[in-house]
Amino acid sequence: MFAALCAPSISAAAIIDVARAFTPRFEQVGPLVLLDAGGLSRLFGNAQELGAHLSQALAKHTADAACPERDPRQVARAEGRVEARVAIASTQTAAALLALGRPGLTVVEPGQEEQALAPLSVSVLDRYEHLTGSLRPQAASSKPQAASPDAGSGWHHPRHTHHASRPKPRAQDNRRLDILTKWGIRSLGALAAIPGPEVFERLGDGGLQWQALARGVDARPLVPWVDEVPFEAALELEWPIEGLEPLSFVLARLFEPLSERLEQADRGAAVIHTALRLTTRRVHARTLPLPAPMRDAKTLRTLVLLDLETHPPDAPIDTVRVFIEPTPGRVVQWTLLERAQPAPEQVSTLIARLSALMGETHVGSPQLVDSWKPGAFEMAAFQVSDRSASAANDRDGETSPTLAPETRASEGAPAVPTAPRGEHAEVPNAMRRFRFPIPTRVQVQEGRPIRVNTDRQGFSSGAIVDAAGPWRTSGEWWQEGQAWDRDEWDVAMTDGTIYRLVVERGVGQWFLEGIVD
Amino acid sequence: MAVRATVEALLRERKLDRTLTSAIPERLGEDAVSPLDVDALDLALAGLTGPQRGLAGGLPRGQVSEVVGPASSGRTGLLWAALAAATRRGESVALIDTFDRFDPPTAAACGIVLPRLLWVRGQAVSKTAVAIDPAWLPGVRAVNGPGTFVERVIDRAIKSLNLVVQSGVCTLVAIDLIDVPATALRRLPASTWFRIERAIEGSDTAVVILAAQSVARSSGGRSIVMGTGRPSDPGSRLPAPGIVWKGEHDRTRRLGGVRSGAAVSAARWSHARQVAVHTRFVHAV
Repeated sequence: MFAALCAPSISAAAIIDVARAFTPRFEQVGPLVLLDAGGLSRLFGNAQELGAHLSQALAKHTADAACPERDPRQVARAEGRVEARVAIASTQTAAALLALGRPGLTVVEPGQEEQALAPLSVSVLDRYEHLTGSLRPQAASSKPQAASPDAGSGWHHPRHTHHASRPKPRAQDNRRLDILTKWGIRSLGALAAIPGPEVFERLGDGGLQWQALARGVDARPLVPWVDEVPFEAALELEWPIEGLEPLSFVLARLFEPLSERLEQADRGAAVIHTALRLTTRRVHARTLPLPAPMRDAKTLRTLVLLDLETHPPDAPIDTVRVFIEPTPGRVVQWTLLERAQPAPEQVSTLIARLSALMGETHVGSPQLVDSWKPGAFEMAAFQVSDRSASAANDRDGETSPTLAPETRASEGAPAVPTAPRGEHAEVPNAMRRFRFPIPTRVQVQEGRPIRVNTDRQGFSSGAIVDAAGPWRTSGEWWQEGQAWDRDEWDVAMTDGTIYRLVVERGVGQWFLEGIVD
Repeated sequence: MAVRATVEALLRERKLDRTLTSAIPERLGEDAVSPLDVDALDLALAGLTGPQRGLAGGLPRGQVSEVVGPASSGRTGLLWAALAAATRRGESVALIDTFDRFDPPTAAACGIVLPRLLWVRGQAVSKTAVAIDPAWLPGVRAVNGPGTFVERVIDRAIKSLNLVVQSGVCTLVAIDLIDVPATALRRLPASTWFRIERAIEGSDTAVVILAAQSVARSSGGRSIVMGTGRPSDPGSRLPAPGIVWKGEHDRTRRLGGVRSGAAVSAARWSHARQVAVHTRFVHAV
C-alpha cells in the first residue's frame, strides 16, 4: 500500500519531514511525496485512519511552521488554510495521480484503482510527467548537495545525482495531450478503455506508458530516500607523532573505512579537508581539491601525504581529522551494452607518461580545422569522453569542408565508406603523409608527369604508369607565410605504388607528399 | 562434450586455457573480437568461410595481430577500417605513429572518430634506411641515450606501445612500423612482443602491428598479408588485381582504388584464408 502527500502551499522539505515521521521508506517526486505504507496499519490503523493521521500531521506541521508563537487560534486558522491532498492506494501511481487530481483525503480499496482514477482529467498525466521529468535536471550540477533545495535538511537522494538514470527533459508542449484532447479523450477512464495495440500504433511507447498510468499500474518500484552521513573520521593519538611516515599509518586507518563508505554510497571524494591538531594547541588545516572524484584509500592517503610534505606542520600532531566532500560516483559504464570507460586517473597518468616520453605536442587527439589546406589539423587533449564525442564527430562529418565531393555527394552516402556484403572486402585507402614533403625530380611531358626520381632509399623511382591530376588548390594568400598554391597528382608507379605528387606552382618544385596506402 | 569440458577445466587450471579454448573460432563472440565491420575480412579473421548465425569475426582481443604488405596494397587502409569500426562502437583506440605518417583529414573521411583516437606521434623522419647503427639493440637502452635519431624514435615508439597497453585505456592499439628499416625490425628482440602479449592477455585490448613485412604475432593472433593478388578460387568472378581509375578523359581521370587480395592466417590454421580486397580511394583535401 502506498500513500501520496501533496500540499501546494507547503514546501517539499516540510512534506518530507511529515513523511519521515511515519516511515523511513518514502520518495519525493516533485512536490509529491510517496510513502510505502505497508506495515503501518499496526501503528496507525486501517487505510482510512492512516490517511486521517497523515492529513492531520500535514496540517499541524504547516501550522506550527507558520505560527512560531503557537497561539492556539492562529494555529487552528492556519490548519484550516492548508490544502492537504492525501491519497492511499495499492499502487504508487494511483496514489500519486489521485493526490494530484483530487483535493482532500482519498482512500482506494485494492483492485479499485482504475475505477478511482477514471473520472480524473487526462491533464493529470501531463502534470505527473512534468513533475517527474522536471525534477531531475535540477540536479545536473556538479555538486548536487549544494544545489538541491532541501540540502539544508541533510537529506540527499541518490537518484538526484545518478546521471545514468536521468531521463531526457520533457518537451515544452506535450503533443500527446493535444492529440488526446482532439480525439475527445478527456478522462483517464476513457484512455484506459482504448485497446493497448491501437494506442501503441497511434502514440507509440509514450502512449502505452500513459495508458498504464491511467490504469494505475506502476512503471517502477518506489526508490526510498537514503540518509547521507558526513564522510568524516578522526583519531586522537595517545602520543604525539612527528614526521610523515607515522602519519601515513594513521591516515590509512582513517581513509580505509571512509573509502568503503564512499563506495557503498556510490560517491567519490571531491575535496579532502585535513585538520591536524598540534601539541601547540594550533590546528594545521589543509584543503586538497581533487582533479577527479576518487575513492581509493591508498590514493587518497598518498595525495594527502604529498600535500603535507609540501606544507608540513610545525609541531607534533595530537589529533588527526579528515573530512571528505563527496561527489557523485563516476558513471564508467552507461549501459550494459557498452564497454566501461577507463578511469580518468588512468588516462591522465598515461597521457603524462607519454608526454614525458614523446613531448607534449606529440600526444593527443587530432582535430580537424576549418581550412582547405591539405593535411591541416591541430592537436587536442585526449579525453575518454562519453557519447558527446561521437556527436561532435558526427557534426564534423556532416559539415567538414575537407571531405571531397566525390565522397559526400556522388555516392549519396555519408562520409564513412560502407563495406558491401559481397564476396570481396572493401576498405578505404589511407594516405600516409610526409610531414616534411620529400623533394623529387619529375619529368613532365605535355603537362603530365611521366617519370619520378628520388634519392631517398625505400622510395620507388622510375616511369609513371598512370596519373590523375592536376588538382589545383590555393589559399591563405592573405596571410604571410601561410599561403599555398599547388597542383596535386596521384601517380601509379610500375611496382604498384601510388604516390601523391605536389608541385609548388610559385617555384615549380616537385615534392613527394604521401603514399596512398 | 564432457571430455572437452574436462580438458578445458584442466587447461584453465594450468593457465593454458587461452591457447585452446578462447581462441578457437567457435568461441569467438562479440566480446572476444574487435570486428572491422568488413564482412568478408571479419569472416576470414574468424576462420569461417560463410556467415554463421551468432558468430562474429574480427581481430581477436587479448592478442597481438599484424597487418603487413607492400606499399599501396591497402595495409594502412585496413588498419584504419579497424580503428574506424572501434571508434564508431564508442571504444577508445590508440595509434603509435612511429614516423608521424597519419593524416587526420583523410582518417576522418574514412570514418575514424578522431576524439576517440589517442595519437602518439613520433618524429617525422623520411630518411630512415641509412641511420641505423649496426650495434644497436632496440628497446634495450634509455630512450635519450646514445644512438642515432632514428634509433631513438623507434625506441620511443616501442616504449609508448608498452605504456599504452599497460594502461588498459584503449581497446585497440596499433603501432605503425611501416617505414622502420628491415634491419631494425629484425633486431627487435622477441621479448618485446612477449611483454606486449603478456600485458594484454585476458584483457579486451587488441594490438595490431602494421609493417611492411612480418614482425610478430601472438599464438592467438592473426596475420593479414595484403597484396597477395587474386584469390585462389578459380571460379571467382572478381576482376583482376590492379589500380582502378575512374573517368575516361585525362581531365576527369581520378584514382578509384586498388584491387588486391589478402591472406589471413593464424597459428592453428592449416592454410591461409584468401580474401579479395578492394580499396576505395577517399579524397580529403
